Amino acid sequence: MKNTQKTLLALAGALAVSFSAGALAEYPEKPINVIVPYGAGGDSDLTTRIWADAVEKELGVPVVVINKAGGGGVVGTSFVANSKNDGYTLINAGLGNMLVTPNFSKTPYDFDSFEPIVKMTAVPLAVVVAKDSPYTNFDEFVAGAKANKLTQGSWGASSSGTILANIIADQAGYSVKYVHAKGAAASMVSVIGGHIDSAVSFPPAFGPHVKADRARALVMNQKMDAFPNVPTFADYGIKGSFEGWSGVFAPKGVPEEVITKLKAATAKVMTDPKVLKSYENIGAVVDFRYGPEWVSDMKVTYDIMKDAAAKVKK
Amino acid sequence: MFDNLLSGFSAILAVGPILGIIAGVIIGIIFGAIPGISGIMAIAIILPLTFYVDPIIGITMLLAVYKAGIYGGSISAILINTPGAAASFLTAVDGNALTKAGKAGKALDISLFSSVSGEMLATLVLILVAAPISAISLQAGPIEKVFLLLFAFTVIGTLAGESIPRGLLSCCLGMLFAMVGMSTITGASRFTFGYTELMAGFTFTPMLIGILVMPEVINVIRRRKVPHHEMMITHSPKPADNRISFKEYRSVFATIVKSSGIGTFIGALPGLGSSTAAFIAYGEAKRTSKKPEEYGKGSVEGIAAAESANNAVCGSSMIPMLTLSIPGDDVAALLMGAFLIHGLTPGPLIFFEHTETIYAIFAGFLITDLFLLGIAKSGFRFFVKVASLRRYYIFPCVTVFAFTGAFTAGQNMNDILVLIAFTIMGYSMRVFGLNPAVFIIGFILTPFLEQNLDQALAIVGTDYHLFFASPFSWVFIALSAFFIYSSLRMRKKATSTPQEKAV
Repeated sequence: MKNTQKTLLALAGALAVSFSAGALAEYPEKPINVIVPYGAGGDSDLTTRIWADAVEKELGVPVVVINKAGGGGVVGTSFVANSKNDGYTLINAGLGNMLVTPNFSKTPYDFDSFEPIVKMTAVPLAVVVAKDSPYTNFDEFVAGAKANKLTQGSWGASSSGTILANIIADQAGYSVKYVHAKGAAASMVSVIGGHIDSAVSFPPAFGPHVKADRARALVMNQKMDAFPNVPTFADYGIKGSFEGWSGVFAPKGVPEEVITKLKAATAKVMTDPKVLKSYENIGAVVDFRYGPEWVSDMKVTYDIMKDAAAKVKK
Repeated sequence: MFDNLLSGFSAILAVGPILGIIAGVIIGIIFGAIPGISGIMAIAIILPLTFYVDPIIGITMLLAVYKAGIYGGSISAILINTPGAAASFLTAVDGNALTKAGKAGKALDISLFSSVSGEMLATLVLILVAAPISAISLQAGPIEKVFLLLFAFTVIGTLAGESIPRGLLSCCLGMLFAMVGMSTITGASRFTFGYTELMAGFTFTPMLIGILVMPEVINVIRRRKVPHHEMMITHSPKPADNRISFKEYRSVFATIVKSSGIGTFIGALPGLGSSTAAFIAYGEAKRTSKKPEEYGKGSVEGIAAAESANNAVCGSSMIPMLTLSIPGDDVAALLMGAFLIHGLTPGPLIFFEHTETIYAIFAGFLITDLFLLGIAKSGFRFFVKVASLRRYYIFPCVTVFAFTGAFTAGQNMNDILVLIAFTIMGYSMRVFGLNPAVFIIGFILTPFLEQNLDQALAIVGTDYHLFFASPFSWVFIALSAFFIYSSLRMRKKATSTPQEKAV
């Protein structure tokens, strides 16, 4: 009898120790969930999975990618906005769910509901035409678009693609008729089939077609090694940043320790050639950023989107 | 094409894909043979598991489940006159008549041989025509697709069952539910009533399980007092009655080829599916048969017609999905999800971009047919035993699988609510005589119609005559008109015949 009591006491003691150890333990002490607010297999998903696989080894706990797709990213993003800000639930952030959708749709969250942690990659937007299109460069395309009403593939009236395409068109002084497909990949099919005159697209979608000489990129946001002959928007005097990007945010008010740890781990893996190669394979440009300058850059884009949204609502 | 196919075979003839196919065939036959549940349920449950394996393994396995599931439906149809899948309804009529005459072995054999023949032929058609069609289908833009989809809706409306108004109502309900959520075109929220969770619309897999599977569980509970039928393979003292001879197979071979042709054609049209194929092929075989009086009383030819047609649909239903990225039925919609998960976007370009994977999958389809033949033939007894387990063992498991399947697809608790809501809806639809299968098709095709209509309108602008500028448009307009005309004529005949008899 006495022995049992002793054992129980010892057990209770051990439990107490382990509990207090839990409270004092350093982040992270259990698996971290990263929510991707889009379907599996897409750009955002792949980018996040590469990051998760890499930082997992640095952090010493599993980093689990969970897809909560739907509503143009709103479902997954609002889920994280309402999650506990303990650093164990993170969100894959991008142009769409952080900067565009909160301005153009009614969302239960805003840019300020989150704490930006890191940006991993950028994908430059490009204007693409079919191989047999009469437009061989962007000047010809602009002239053509001024003369005739050309069609341009995008993915939804208030999607990041259309918003950016509109800003480009405004500056170059033309206008196009948008044809909305399910995504950048789907509108490439229409371009190649000759049903629409052009499309805005990202390298993962247009890359294979340009390489196989079925399509031509006229202009893109920045130089890429894979497409050395494509000029940039800046070359044509168009100002602004036209890129999709992928990063990781946490709910607002997450402990400082979490941010530091995640930044440090990301910084380490972003020099790993294996990680860099994985990003190159999916057509993304590594653009590792963090800190106040990055956040204020995002704020600038956010305000541009806000203006664009106000214009549309008028 | 043939070197592509050869390299496909070399990719598929490895341990992983073969194990996947074997597992798929066994699971498919079991699920197909159990009355009340079908292969589609197995596909919905297995789908999330295939995300973690190579696309070649995952997709061939899912297709093996599909093919084996359609075949498996004929086992319970023949032995206890209860079709395991709706497509085996006619097999039940003739097959069970043979069983009662002590010729169960013969019925099972002819059903298996004609199923496999039908599948083989349809798969060969798929392999031969898919790549050429995809080259043409690149020319089919949004305008042509709008007419194709309108044609699909016409066909569903006219062939949906006995009552056209009820068929149309089911279809419209499906369309209505498909519109819930954020519009992919304008970004507007529709029918969400302020719930963020609804912005994604209704998730397909839980809805499908809710509409098609769970109401069967409720039905079983309601009919729990009905005595249990043990499945048994009856044995005849005459060995000729227990098997099918080569001569008999050859005598129905023409029927098999014709019915497979019908099945392949029906499968390639979006929206119809294997039940319709079985009905049309059976009717056609009966009309042209030398012994039409045998049909319904144990005709080997009748089983051959129905089974080869419903299995031919499996291969050809991949055609619209792969070449136009429009899934023609519920299984194709699930499989399209599987393709997308693996980064293979179905559409005309898939043959350029993923040549190796696609031909490996095609090779897998052909091998699946051989495995289906071998496994089913050697395991009749086993499958019959499993499928005749008591309902109180099977259906609790089905319920657990249904809920797990609904959850694992998206790892989202809300999907469980979707499952429950659509279980109630699916059961009510059966009570009111609405057609759940048509509801699902309406749900699947509506987003495609909406997207393509919007694109087409953006392209034509105010030049509406462009809608009729393409020859493809006219082909589909003509086909739609033909289907409306022929279904009206069929109905007129059906209503006038009894009156004539009365006179």
